[in-house]
Amino acid sequence: MSAPPDIIISVHNLTVGYADQVVLQRINFEVRRGEVFAILGTSGSGKSTLLKNLIGLYTPMAGEVLIEGRDIVTAEGDDRLRLLRSFGVLYQSGALFGSMTILENVRLPLDAFTRLPELAKDLVALSKLRLVDLKVSPARLPAELSGGMQKRAALARAIVADPVILFLDEPSAGLDPITSAGLDALFKELSRNSDITLVVVTHELPSIYAIADRVILLDAERKTIVAEGNPYYLRDHATDPLVRHFFRREAI
Amino acid sequence: MSSEKTIPPGPQVHFELRKAGEGRLVLVLSGQLNADSAPRLWQELKQKLAATPATTLEIDAAGLTHCDSAGLALLYFLSTGQMTPNAQVTLSGLKPEFQKELQSFSIKDYQDLQSQQPAKPSVAEETGMAIMGMAGDLKEMAVFIGQVASALVAMPFHPRQVRWSEVLRIFEIAGVNALPIVSLISLLVGLIIAFEAAQPLAQFGAQIYVANLIGLVMVRELGPVMTAILLAGRSGSAFAAELGTMKVNEELNALETMGLDPVRFLVVQRLLASLLLTPLLTIFSMFTGVLGGVIVMLGLDFPMPMILRQLESSVQIRDIAFGTGKGFVFGIIVAGISCLRGMQTKEGPSAVGASTTRSVVSGILLIVVVDALFAALMFTLKK
Ligand SMILES: Nc1ncnc2c1ncn2[C@@H]1O[C@H](COP(=O)(O)OP(=O)(O)O)[C@@H](O)[C@H]1O
Ligand SMILES: [Mg+2]
Repeated sequence: MSAPPDIIISVHNLTVGYADQVVLQRINFEVRRGEVFAILGTSGSGKSTLLKNLIGLYTPMAGEVLIEGRDIVTAEGDDRLRLLRSFGVLYQSGALFGSMTILENVRLPLDAFTRLPELAKDLVALSKLRLVDLKVSPARLPAELSGGMQKRAALARAIVADPVILFLDEPSAGLDPITSAGLDALFKELSRNSDITLVVVTHELPSIYAIADRVILLDAERKTIVAEGNPYYLRDHATDPLVRHFFRREAI
Repeated sequence: MSSEKTIPPGPQVHFELRKAGEGRLVLVLSGQLNADSAPRLWQELKQKLAATPATTLEIDAAGLTHCDSAGLALLYFLSTGQMTPNAQVTLSGLKPEFQKELQSFSIKDYQDLQSQQPAKPSVAEETGMAIMGMAGDLKEMAVFIGQVASALVAMPFHPRQVRWSEVLRIFEIAGVNALPIVSLISLLVGLIIAFEAAQPLAQFGAQIYVANLIGLVMVRELGPVMTAILLAGRSGSAFAAELGTMKVNEELNALETMGLDPVRFLVVQRLLASLLLTPLLTIFSMFTGVLGGVIVMLGLDFPMPMILRQLESSVQIRDIAFGTGKGFVFGIIVAGISCLRGMQTKEGPSAVGASTTRSVVSGILLIVVVDALFAALMFTLKK
């Protein structure tokens, strides 16, 4: 190995949960700049909860989340805005605003964060829509699009302000295997063509093997990370039966 | 720290625009061209380039260390000659990684989009569309009335198909729970009318006729109308929202594919409940309204027996029957129109809100129109 990897997110002794229940206890991990990092686990293991703590929607019960060295929990005002601007988030449902056209949806972060001329915003939004290969008119409303198309449009919105980190919550949920493979290819391409870092929450094995450089596996019982590393390596070398089961379940 | 590189703090772009001969302009860019720095540069270049006509523009982008999409949008706009329509534009020195992203921009997409914006229809077109819309609405209403009528007629033969528990639930929500607001408003309206009427009548020494006035007005007009309007605002909107949400969630489609008629399954119960509850609410409203009048008269020192005798002599049983009959009709109208509006709900997140509004507006409109018809009917019958 040459120089130590450039760390973009580091999580120290993080405890997350809800008023009545601790979901994950004192976990530690790091995400390297430019990689595709996947958060894995069965349903209810706390993937979404962890993600919401990472992006500052929830406040952790203890511990810290450093993004580019800044603490997301304590950041306030301009600092917090600048951090938020460096994120893109693709929500599980897409979360497109139904009363706005696709183009207006995609432009929204530019409206919020920049003072570009209208024409420039449209040009950027259209170029991102081209990038995600949305083949329908951007003047349409989200309700007129299929699930896969909505995901693509939501992805365009997530990357329109050139985020440094892109968070994806179960991007393939509710999509057919072909559409979700198409999305995976898109993520891979995005990751290859820019120095963006992807943090993906998923439990789809094909997706994991296709895109993830490194993964962590969460477990609900132990309330912690039970495995960390390259998914192929874990599949072939893990000794923990739980981990072996997760990675081989459908792979064979 | 590395963070400074990826989250730039402020405008950091430099440009130099110089004349390099007859009609030849050279633009040298350096620094970071991003969403923070591009807006100002965009403005300045637009002004400068418009002020200096040229036949060629050479853009030297070798000094650009970092570009984001916003910056590239500006470069694209410049390099395709959009700011200098009369000049040949060349772009050189741009780093290959940015060059690649520049390919994803397209002014054609933008123009396509502009041409897709629908042209604003003319007044004649809009009038035509509105009339067509109204005709279509009337037709849907007629079909709906037919469906409801056939469902109601079929009901006595299959009483078990009606979900009576649902009828009871709606009766409670839309009827029993409406009692406080109906009584409060009727009482206050009764008080106000009696109070306002007492003053002019006092000039003629005819204050005792406040009883006649309040009795007739409450029983024949305001009782039924106020109850119906409250029902339209309180429960009609709820019916429309419930059915509209079911439509949006494809529950109505699910019913149809299970062979269940949404009209029978959902509308009939609401209609039955309203049919039962509006006359009762109406009578209640009449009573509290008159009570308001009585309170005012007691305040004017009329003895109770006298007020009651006056009421008895002015309000006949057939007036009460007339008012209650109106209540029946209004109940059907409110429940029917709000269920129809709910089932007409279109797709999209604002659709439920729209049909709720439509249900209340059409409900109140129909109540007033039908009330006028009743008045006209009574007038001709009396002649
Ligand atoms: N809003 C909430 N309030 C309380 N508990 C919650 C909430 N959301 C999730 N949980 C609980 O937290 C645990 C982890 O849930 P979640 O993070 O959604 O898991 P995953 O996304 O991995 O399926 C589950 O036990 C779940 O019941
Ligand atoms: Mg989840």
